[in-house]
Amino acid sequence: MIHQSGPANKKQAIDCEQERQLVMAAQRGDPEAFRELHDAYRPRIYNLVAYSIGDPLQTQDLLQTIFLKVFRGLHGFRFQSSLSTWIYRIAHNECQNVHRSRRASHVPLEAILGSSDEIDTKPISHDQHARQEREIILQQAVMQLSFKLSEVVVLKYVEGLSYEEIGRVLRCAPGTVASRLSRALTELEERLRPFRSFL
Amino acid sequence: MSCWHFSLRRKLLPYIEGELREKDVRQLERHLLDCGWCRELLLHLRDGHHMAQRLPRQAMGNDHPSEFRAMMADAGEEARSPWRRVPAWHDWLERFATPPVLGLLAVVLVAQCALLVVSNRDVLFGQRSGAAATTGALDLHDFHRLDIANLKFNTEPRIATQGYVTDVHTDAEEGTVAFKLVESSNAAGPFVVCEIMSPIKMAAPRDGSYVRVYGVSRFDAQAGRKWYEVNPVLDIAVLKR
Repeated sequence: MIHQSGPANKKQAIDCEQERQLVMAAQRGDPEAFRELHDAYRPRIYNLVAYSIGDPLQTQDLLQTIFLKVFRGLHGFRFQSSLSTWIYRIAHNECQNVHRSRRASHVPLEAILGSSDEIDTKPISHDQHARQEREIILQQAVMQLSFKLSEVVVLKYVEGLSYEEIGRVLRCAPGTVASRLSRALTELEERLRPFRSFL
Repeated sequence: MSCWHFSLRRKLLPYIEGELREKDVRQLERHLLDCGWCRELLLHLRDGHHMAQRLPRQAMGNDHPSEFRAMMADAGEEARSPWRRVPAWHDWLERFATPPVLGLLAVVLVAQCALLVVSNRDVLFGQRSGAAATTGALDLHDFHRLDIANLKFNTEPRIATQGYVTDVHTDAEEGTVAFKLVESSNAAGPFVVCEIMSPIKMAAPRDGSYVRVYGVSRFDAQAGRKWYEVNPVLDIAVLKR
């Protein structure tokens, strides 16, 4: 898996007015406008889906399904919410459907990664490799959270959404988001405790 | 042991993020001095927060164009005719179809219709003498139309015939109104006697007006009469005053 830290690519960021124009053009049937919207939102939605689903192939499939729904529903989009909220909402629903059908049982993180005794926590000469290892551990820990908890973590810490914005996507109060996030972080800390020295 | 100050517990994360108001910070810090459980939770949350902050964005493969094409291919027909094309007027409609504009259009439309109906009242309804109200759901198309001169050949029970009104006679005691309907305005030629009778209430037509009368056809065979009648009259439409 390839990783890139930091905020979303700036070249893909489009301002509100530009986005509105693109949506209207896409609604008129301009495929290039839709392609631009797709390219702008795909990396953001990919993160939510990848963290929620885990499996890269299934992630790609689901991503297509989500954008197909965006594509089909865009003509009815009336700017009553922000486009990002609307697309995140579609992604949330799709991920939730997958989780419902999966009914996955919990697998301890250490069973996947090995315990702290088993993994080599000595400083690795290659910094890049060590950083990648740490990121994989973090990612796996988040993916091991329940869907409800992992998605708030991703929306907050990867996508940088505010409590209010997350509340709009998940259709719940900001207070609920905060309490869900607290639970997620406590659980995350607990799962990652054995790897603390390495992280 | 747990802490039941849920509202304060909810503030721990904003406290870590530095997004708590000063007043709340003081209140929370006072609580933390007394509550070991919340202090411990704070430590876990802080560690979890720091770990989550290091979560990487996951990068996708670079095969956007082919994925996009595949998705559009999935859309099938929609992809070929780039989706449900929205016609150009759709934009115009969306821009101008605001509630005030639509309201104004509705008012203008209603006013136009009312004007049209009022100005063509005679053509549309004739000038009913109020019989429609008393006859209820009377379907005037059911009445066989014929000229006064042709009444002698009529076999239909319900007829509609028209002519000039003459000799209007009101019998207040009986509650009837009788008048003669003639084909020409000089009262010469064939005629038919029309009778409005109780309980049908209808205003008597004006002498000399040109009307269409709807009613039951009959022949009065009494000696000295021997004429055709529309009796009772069920409706009258004034065609010319």
